[in-house]
Amino acid sequence: MQSFVDIMGLISIIAIPLLVLFIIVYGVVKKVKIYEAFVEGAKEGFNVGVRIIPYLVAMLVAIGIFRAGGAMEILGNLLSPVTRLIGMPPEALPMAFIRPLSGSGSLGVMSEIIKSHGPDSLIGRMVSVMMGSSETTFYVLAVYFGAVGITKGRQAVLAGIIVDAAAVLISVWLVNLVFG
Amino acid sequence: MLNYIWLGLIVIGIAVAVYGDVSDISAHKYHNGETDIVELKLASDSARITPNQPLPCTVFYRRTEALKNESNSTIVHTSTFSGAPTEPQKAELLLSNTTDGTLHIFLNDKAPPLWNGRLKAQKSSDYLSARIHLTTDSGATAIGANLSFDAVSFVNLNSVTNDGIIKYAKTAVELAIGLIGIMALWLGLMKIAEQSGLTASLARLLRPIMTRLFPDVPADHPAMGAMIMNISANMLGLANAATPLGLKAMEELNKLNRKMGTATDAMCTFLVINTSNVQLIPATVIAIRAAAGSRNPTEILGPVLIATFTTLIIGVVTVKLLAKLPFFRKQLEPEGQG
Repeated sequence: MQSFVDIMGLISIIAIPLLVLFIIVYGVVKKVKIYEAFVEGAKEGFNVGVRIIPYLVAMLVAIGIFRAGGAMEILGNLLSPVTRLIGMPPEALPMAFIRPLSGSGSLGVMSEIIKSHGPDSLIGRMVSVMMGSSETTFYVLAVYFGAVGITKGRQAVLAGIIVDAAAVLISVWLVNLVFG
Repeated sequence: MLNYIWLGLIVIGIAVAVYGDVSDISAHKYHNGETDIVELKLASDSARITPNQPLPCTVFYRRTEALKNESNSTIVHTSTFSGAPTEPQKAELLLSNTTDGTLHIFLNDKAPPLWNGRLKAQKSSDYLSARIHLTTDSGATAIGANLSFDAVSFVNLNSVTNDGIIKYAKTAVELAIGLIGIMALWLGLMKIAEQSGLTASLARLLRPIMTRLFPDVPADHPAMGAMIMNISANMLGLANAATPLGLKAMEELNKLNRKMGTATDAMCTFLVINTSNVQLIPATVIAIRAAAGSRNPTEILGPVLIATFTTLIIGVVTVKLLAKLPFFRKQLEPEGQG
């Protein structure tokens, strides 16, 4: 299995250089003025980066307040009867809450749980699957909508939350089924 | 909806912080105004206590009590220490005269919970700082001392201000600025791919799927190519490339938007695909598991793939069904006067 990990590592190392090379060579073959085209496209980078700042500040500060005040622990205590019902260890609950809110936060929680319970424990596998199968929804919403100045997210917000909840439930169910 | 989530996060966050602080105060959690009785042992027997010279020592916590007498100098404790003995903690003693000064305590993981709590509240340094008053003769091997601490209160609200508001406002800008370079790179490459017809031919390849997912977007619109590039980058786990490509796709989609500031159906579907994290190999997770010494770090691959594709399908179906609701339909209509 170690060789599989090595191959994955190799792929993630060569993927970007290969992709860059492929795009440029394809451009040359199709007689595109690659340098001019690149610079013309890249000009936009600064504007996009600056444009998302207000949206990102709004979203991250709200998430920061929520986390720093200790709301995560209280929610965990409140919901522990529900999680026991679906076969989810209460220690895994913080992961379910932090996953859609903060990428670095959920990475921290996952590493913490894996360190204290072991990577091959049921709960260690559960947080691994949760981490791998869902995304930092609120960050994605803020950045993507922010880039084009959208404040009314319509059904995307609700659907995003439903996807997160589904990811947690399916992860718990699958891990209990496969490893339980 | 974003309005309510924003409001909810902030109001709940602050309310919980206030509740936690008030219950800390009423439970007298940090024993403010009380004195810790401790026992000191100097690191070396030959050392003598001299004012204004930092001296390494170990400190044993005994008990906490409310000493009635305001002036510390009249309290004399005998060298018999009551209270349960605790693990020694490393410390550094710095006296300003023969009996009074400061003590910096370097807590280990067996430190008394009260001290750990105070250290966390103090947050500025990696040692706990206390005012010390020696109560027995400094010549003895075990020196009795009283410690008093700065009052600790509103830990949670302080944390909301410093860790929540100030730190995250800074983080947001750092994230955005950090994105500029990588954004410029991929937008430049996208321009080459666009002019060479690469994105268009990719879009043609996946046309049957894309036109069903995004019926409002013309099949040969540049948005299609950008979205395919973004989804492919996500699948390959190239997060650095996926975000710039995704933002490019959002810009293209926004050109089809008839009501600026409001998301179109296509944008919502595209976002939900992005939030369900379609990646073939969760490389970060596998790396963390391998680093933690897992016997089989990749064993979670199967469940992750099943979970991620199930949630993708659930997400796409949900977002399409929600789009049919009159509540969301109405938001697309042009606003009337007033």
